[in-house]
Amino acid sequence: MDWDQLDLHPRVKAAVRRAQISSISSVLVLSSPVLQTRTGLSCSDVQQLLIVAAAACRGTPPIQAVLLKTGPGPRLSLGCPVLDRLLRGGLHSGGISELSGQSGAGKTQLGLQLCLSVQYPEEYGGLGSGAVFISTEDSFPVRRLQQLISEQPCLRSDVPPSVISSLKFSDNIYIEHTADLVSLQTCVSRRVPLLLSRGLVRFLVVDSVAALFRSEFEASDWLERNKQLLTLSSCLHHLSHEFNIPVLCINQVTDVFNDSEHTLGPLRSSVSPALGLAWSNQVMVRLMMRRLQGTVAREDQSSTLRRLEVVFAPHVASGGCDAAVWREGVCGVHDGK
Amino acid sequence: MKPLPFDKCSNNLDLQTGLNHQEALEVLQAVTSDGGGVSFTALELLQKEAELKSIVTFSSQLDAALGGGVPVGKTTEVCGVPGIGKTQLCLQLAVDVQIPECFGGVGGQALFIDTEGSFTVQRLVDLAAAAVRHCSLLVEDDEQRDAMTMFTVETILSNLFLVRCRDYVELLAEVHLLPDFLSQHPNIRLLVIDSVAFPFRLLFDELSQRTRLLNGLMTTRVQQGGQSQLVPALGDSWGHAATLRLLLQWAGSQRMATLFKSSCHMDTTVQYQITSDGFRDTDQSEQPQSKRPRIQTDQSASSQRDGS
Repeated sequence: MDWDQLDLHPRVKAAVRRAQISSISSVLVLSSPVLQTRTGLSCSDVQQLLIVAAAACRGTPPIQAVLLKTGPGPRLSLGCPVLDRLLRGGLHSGGISELSGQSGAGKTQLGLQLCLSVQYPEEYGGLGSGAVFISTEDSFPVRRLQQLISEQPCLRSDVPPSVISSLKFSDNIYIEHTADLVSLQTCVSRRVPLLLSRGLVRFLVVDSVAALFRSEFEASDWLERNKQLLTLSSCLHHLSHEFNIPVLCINQVTDVFNDSEHTLGPLRSSVSPALGLAWSNQVMVRLMMRRLQGTVAREDQSSTLRRLEVVFAPHVASGGCDAAVWREGVCGVHDGK
Repeated sequence: MKPLPFDKCSNNLDLQTGLNHQEALEVLQAVTSDGGGVSFTALELLQKEAELKSIVTFSSQLDAALGGGVPVGKTTEVCGVPGIGKTQLCLQLAVDVQIPECFGGVGGQALFIDTEGSFTVQRLVDLAAAAVRHCSLLVEDDEQRDAMTMFTVETILSNLFLVRCRDYVELLAEVHLLPDFLSQHPNIRLLVIDSVAFPFRLLFDELSQRTRLLNGLMTTRVQQGGQSQLVPALGDSWGHAATLRLLLQWAGSQRMATLFKSSCHMDTTVQYQITSDGFRDTDQSEQPQSKRPRIQTDQSASSQRDGS
């Protein structure tokens, strides 16, 4: 937006131009005495200028909460009714959800499952669009994805087989390999917005955020690391809110050595999500997956028992449920079974 | 107000406060001119403050520590680690500010500035339904019965205004426009910013600019309402801004709320929990028992009203 479009007296506009204040938002950053000296305007003119500039910069005026959708809003189903119940319907659109856990806990499995689940029409818990999977750690597990796709009728017995067979799952998953932070940044800020604005995808997985930040920085570079971390997270926030999509970030864990860190959360396990407080502040929903001791068996398959826990979320009570990874995907295990 | 440096020339003031020359002159002008403000006696101020009510938190222990709840007309800062319940407390207050006056509430509206995107209507409906259920159990006379017809989940949602600010420019813009908005909606008694720190985190390396902006934010703040925020992020210059600072923290698996800056209360630490109904005391997990503390706060609120 330009100064010409604002409803201001030409005299004020001329003064602003003379003071070489180019953007409207930079006016808000200055205090009114500074504006007075720089533009040579009177106090009331500056007040007027500030209010008009503020009105131009404001996104939307305050609205009553009753006018917002009172329903649960679009949720991305996890593809399993037990896990969906834990998350009150599934992943929240808007905001970053984090899934952390030790290696082998089943994080990537759940990420893959969500990439398939998002492609279902809305009445079956999906968002009717594709997904972007950004892989920073390993090569993308293509064979496992093919297996999951072929087992979909088994996982989603609630969906008519004709719907499942009409979906071309592997055509709608866009896979990005990023080996360093710069390419991750370009991917998130350039390529992903392009896909989103064309409506080709409505879900983003980053697997994992921790890998690059842990490998690229020395301990002494924490300032730079924090800055990069915040740049990435603000970019993800922006995407998530602008396009109203769920964003899942898979995170590694770090060991908790001493008691000093237990103030960050109730001490439930010996590990906590990696990347520290700077990252935690950016996360809206934090999920954690753990491997438990026992195994569960079913017909010809057996799986190590896992536990999916909600550490915090603004709309979900903290809690957890047991889960197992089967051939067709991650499923909740009913209590008592 | 602190004793001000009348004898200081503006140049001196420039150096000491880091303001520029024009701003320093304005400070001196404001201080020396008689029209700066009408003076009150302490008694008048006391009476004035007694008229202002507090917003109950639904945790009787925290209410007691705060002297009846979060005070209207003062700035309260809530900080703590992610997941401790800051947003829950904010939502709880946004609902509780609407409790009708005959129940000892404030009966106002709320403006919620969401910078993180963590506001969910679903959760708000939970809290609103719990508050309505709670008040309907307390109905004793006709006035309260009448008030209950106007205190429903629907009206609670329509009395809560929500703005989403995605960056600090939008937040500053919103603050500039607040005086207008508040004069159009004179019933607003609570302003929540959840959170102040979030949009400013990216300005990590521009420390001086950040300090300037935050100071601007506080000087333009309105008289009524509470503000909320994360960890004592943002540093010392922000710390001066809030009248009350409330720190939420974990102690083992227990949630604790510590009041650590306040001009009129003792430093205290109380336990609380977040239930599906919202922000509550720890020792009562069952629904019927949770009525008891509210009646007490009602009485204390009404006795406060009688006294004024």
